[in-house]
Amino acid sequence: MKKLLTTILSLGVAASAALAADSITAVKVSDVNDASAWAKAKFTSVVLYPQSAIHMNDKKANAANENNKAKKADVAALYDSKNIALMVKWADGTKNVQGSYSSDTYSDGFAVQFAGITKGSQPLPYIGMGSAGRPVVVHLQKATEKVYEPNGNKDVSTQINRNQTALFGDELKAYDAKVASLAKTDYERVFVAEGFRSLTEIKDGSVASNANMTYDGKGWTGTLVRPLNDTYMKSSGTVPVAIAVWDGEKMGRNGLKNLSPWVSINLEGQKPDAKIVAETTEAPKGDAAKGKEAVAANGCAGCHQIEATDAPSFMGPSLANVGGYSSVAYLRESILKPSAVIVPGYNRNAHSNTPWYNIEKGKRVSAMTDFSFLDKKTVEDIVAYLKTLKAEVE
Amino acid sequence: MSKRQLAMVMDLNKCIGCQTCTVACKTQWTNRNGREYMYWNNVETYPGTGYPKNWMELGGGFDAAGDLQPGVIPNLEADYGVPWDYNYESLMGGMSDSNNFHPHVSPTWGPNWDEDQGAGAFPQDNYFFYLPRICNHCTNPGCLSACPRDAIFKREEDGVVLVDLDRCQGYRYCIAGCPYKKIYFNPKISKSEKCILCFPRIEQGLPPACAQQCVGRIRFVGFLDDEESQVYKLVHKYKVALGLRSDYGTQPNVYYIPPTESPAKFDAEGKIIEGSTRLPIEELEKLFGPAVHDAIKTLKDEMKKRKETGVSELLDLLIAYQHKDMFRLDNNYYQEVAKAAKRNPLAPVDTRYIAGKFTQAGGHH
Repeated sequence: MKKLLTTILSLGVAASAALAADSITAVKVSDVNDASAWAKAKFTSVVLYPQSAIHMNDKKANAANENNKAKKADVAALYDSKNIALMVKWADGTKNVQGSYSSDTYSDGFAVQFAGITKGSQPLPYIGMGSAGRPVVVHLQKATEKVYEPNGNKDVSTQINRNQTALFGDELKAYDAKVASLAKTDYERVFVAEGFRSLTEIKDGSVASNANMTYDGKGWTGTLVRPLNDTYMKSSGTVPVAIAVWDGEKMGRNGLKNLSPWVSINLEGQKPDAKIVAETTEAPKGDAAKGKEAVAANGCAGCHQIEATDAPSFMGPSLANVGGYSSVAYLRESILKPSAVIVPGYNRNAHSNTPWYNIEKGKRVSAMTDFSFLDKKTVEDIVAYLKTLKAEVE
Repeated sequence: MSKRQLAMVMDLNKCIGCQTCTVACKTQWTNRNGREYMYWNNVETYPGTGYPKNWMELGGGFDAAGDLQPGVIPNLEADYGVPWDYNYESLMGGMSDSNNFHPHVSPTWGPNWDEDQGAGAFPQDNYFFYLPRICNHCTNPGCLSACPRDAIFKREEDGVVLVDLDRCQGYRYCIAGCPYKKIYFNPKISKSEKCILCFPRIEQGLPPACAQQCVGRIRFVGFLDDEESQVYKLVHKYKVALGLRSDYGTQPNVYYIPPTESPAKFDAEGKIIEGSTRLPIEELEKLFGPAVHDAIKTLKDEMKKRKETGVSELLDLLIAYQHKDMFRLDNNYYQEVAKAAKRNPLAPVDTRYIAGKFTQAGGHH
């Protein structure tokens, strides 16, 4: 992949960002691993919003991320008979790589989330790493530098400090050389998740993917190649993806990121999946001003932080950027069926007096009132208002 | 809360700050693989900056309402200290090279940088004592609550708090969440690591390395629900062992016998001021809470009783005539746990630590 990227960059493919469009077109090529194929790529601008649903407990990081704005990324896709490839370009003024001997530095990185396989026809998974029964597959790539380890197998138990060996002279030199040759340079991970906190790394090699990222002084270019179909996902003519980027300069990791809503990638020359396209492109139909009044009248602020300037709440997720990364369908569902998507969230012990879900008969039940009694128009008005809640673009 | 809870009691009256526990732990667990800077066990001088630097001011733990408090992740160089090494090879070539003998990094900070400084003015009223610290294996751990990956767990069988290295992704919220800063980031593997209470030893009926090696015999280890255990008697029966900074709300399971005696102050002429004590009770209150008054009174009463009658179960306990008198562990218990779970009794009882909690395909929740 490294070779491929070098070639791509030397070709000097310009990010010909079109105006913000709803769907990305994946261009059909004979081999996505052929670097020259990217010359045909069509870039689409995607907006990534600051993840602000929950508030983490790192004081310095919270201060650094207080007034985050949305970022724009240029995304292109290719596909061949087996694989889909994505290229994501985003601006980042600083290159951050987690130090090899440091306790408080963080890497820049990016991730692409795909919808996993669900039983029957269901809406797309929750944008924040899926939800119970609606899994996602997440590919993560972080910027790395060489970290010396005596083995490259993540086999912690056999790692030895050179001073702990019985080696001297030439033997020690040979040992050092072996360590250097095995220095891990990559931090690529693939996960499955059904809600954040359930994120579990796929380590058995059942996903044949390859991700990489390069810095050009102004920003990053990330690429990912993965199969269109495998154990974890099945593709139709439309592949929904969500993209996230992390800024190490702002101590970004985990939830401290910018993420896009679900975006459809239509495979050129194939029949688009109308249901997925509709879900990712649906515009709100209600009256946002009336929705704001309804939100106030129904006491949503009792549990949710509504706008970024409101006081934070430990109870419900903050809605400050919900209009950015959530679809209309998801917002509607959350109002009518609050228990349809309950993320495990972070530990309930963290705020033991504000449990946002209860476990009834082994199932998580949301602490949120079911608002299905609202009339259809009011629901649509609320959704329209929620869609306006998002940070402005940087 | 776990079914049972292991606890450790440290008698601060007997700690001489020799760091044997620190070395026992370091050679067993943390002298390699990116853990070089970590001290799962450290002994700091109190009052002092501690390790990591000013850990009591770095946040974490819970407020009175039960909400996790934000915290700060210490910097390796400024707050923990980079462990430096010397170019010993230069000495191999004969003494002519010895001028070039130097550390590989210029040391700017490290644990015990302010060892034995304490507070007050020498010789009138200076004072300090040693405070050995390990992970408190809390009943309500701040690290566990802070983890957004469910990578930290508390063992049902004995309450030991462990990091599931398979799930940990190195986010470090646990470090911010622990008010004792006793969980560390391993930059080499990009995961958090911490004191494991030597569980592979405990399961064989052996005390943790730090307790086994302690030359002052200050560390008692056992189960808190075992009424015959030393820890039960010290914590619950006599109530002379108290948690460190229990105001952080994590319910720590390492308990301390507070320093009971402190020398008198000197006046300007160097004469003893009768009835004075160097160690301000406010300092002990800050560390161990208001119960410290009763604990010290009980200890003094028992000392008096022992002097007068020759009998005191509490003092016999604290003296620990035999090394084995400090520990009440239960190898059979772990054998039973392993048997019930159909595991090899010689393997660590909690296989999650080795293999990862959600390693099996589809095992995530």
